Amino acid sequence: MNFVAAIGRVMLNFLASTGRLAIFTGISVSHIFRPPYYPRLLLRQVIDIGYYSLPVVGLTAVFTGMVLALQSYSGFARFNAEGAVATVVVLSITRELAPVLAGLMVAGRIGAAMAAEIGTMRVTEQIDALSTLATNPYKYLVAPRLLAGMVMLPCCVLVADIIGVFGGYLVAVHKLDFNPNVYLKNTWQFLEFIDVVSGLVKAAVFGFLIALMGCYHGYYSKGGAQGVGAATTNAVVSASILILASNYLITEAFFSQ
Amino acid sequence: MTDAPVKIAIRGLTKSFGAKHVLRGLDLAIYEGESLAVIGGSGSGKSVLLKNIVGILTPDSGSIKIDGEEVVGVTGPARDRINRKLGMLFQNAALFDSLPLWENVAFGLMSAHGVEKSEARGIAIERLRQVGLDSDTIDRVPADISVGAQKRVGLARAIAANPEILFFDEPTTGIDPIMGEVIDSLIVKCVNELGATALTITHDMESARRIADRVAMIYEGEIVWVGDVATVNSSGNEIVDQFIHGRVDGPISTNVTTAGAA
Repeated sequence: MNFVAAIGRVMLNFLASTGRLAIFTGISVSHIFRPPYYPRLLLRQVIDIGYYSLPVVGLTAVFTGMVLALQSYSGFARFNAEGAVATVVVLSITRELAPVLAGLMVAGRIGAAMAAEIGTMRVTEQIDALSTLATNPYKYLVAPRLLAGMVMLPCCVLVADIIGVFGGYLVAVHKLDFNPNVYLKNTWQFLEFIDVVSGLVKAAVFGFLIALMGCYHGYYSKGGAQGVGAATTNAVVSASILILASNYLITEAFFSQ
Repeated sequence: MTDAPVKIAIRGLTKSFGAKHVLRGLDLAIYEGESLAVIGGSGSGKSVLLKNIVGILTPDSGSIKIDGEEVVGVTGPARDRINRKLGMLFQNAALFDSLPLWENVAFGLMSAHGVEKSEARGIAIERLRQVGLDSDTIDRVPADISVGAQKRVGLARAIAANPEILFFDEPTTGIDPIMGEVIDSLIVKCVNELGATALTITHDMESARRIADRVAMIYEGEIVWVGDVATVNSSGNEIVDQFIHGRVDGPISTNVTTAGAA
């Protein structure tokens, strides 16, 4: 009987958390569209999420492109399909690897930072102070982060697409002795508009989820330093899982026959 | 004082956290222009009462009226309009650690009152001067100044927009007795200059005597005694006597409870 009660408690907690997250999301999104706006805060988040994430996203992309070229070459050589390396690299990067890996890296960097910052504000009563100063915390803290996440992660992924393809090109041309012109021709020949767009749509969704998880876990953190630490961990873990799960759903929506 | 109109009227206020009943039908009237201190032990519901009045928490039942207007359940722009009448000094100042001191003080002016940045900066500098901070500190961030100075900045922020009602949450907690007296005298000065109504939450009797015109004792989520500050020593109330003399023996339980956050 205790076991059944325990399962019931877990289910009730899960449903309560889901409901709280849904309400938090609804209120936060509504504040993106309603004035007053805080352009200075939005600019700060744009710089934090976009500009400062570029080095880590760029490094991830270049090495991923290089490894992909090397791996696909050694695999395709078994059935004399080396010519498909360029196409595989560009499709893999634009459709999957750039958005997913950039999303995971930014989740670790930005999601954690958001949860820590907002969580610290929560436990030191700074969020309460915002309310007493007639300033809505959702509008001031959450809305700019959600908007910046949705806008800037696609920008990072677009850069990652270019750098990732360039990484593959470097390995293919300088290590595997591909003809540079043929490699570039094969890169462009089979690349379609939807390959890039689907990756950017994924990035926008991932950016939203990263910011949402960072803000949500920070906003509801409690219990001092330990609570803020737990919020940071939960933000990164939940954002990563949601990125991987939503990646499947978006891929299904774009490419299922 | 009771000839003045009621500024804040609280009736039958209840608030629970799970199984812990923190406020149990609390009634309290705060009159316009007076300074009232609510005293009580840890976990007695003082801070929860304050957070319900300023809208940080929502009571389970009961009524809170400010200037005759019901504020329980009021949210959004209507709540922001009410909050523009209020100023609050938090227990640990709760300054925004990413903003310089002047911007902390000017925050409400710019964000809620639509004051231009340059004008708000001027007002902030004047308010910081009022609480004894030099103009060469205004560009520092909160982490660079002492706790006592942070309380001063918190006070400057609370009075920045000339509020009608001021709330002080444990203003002397975490600072030495000398700085405590300085903060108290600043509070009295600011409240008098503004002609504001003030509500102070404290467990520091010396602070309550310095700040308040009247004192209310909260115990187990109810107001058990209210009277002029001069009569607190002769209240005839056992709970008040035990509290102000700091005795272990008496009706106030010294057992530590862990349920809820009061």
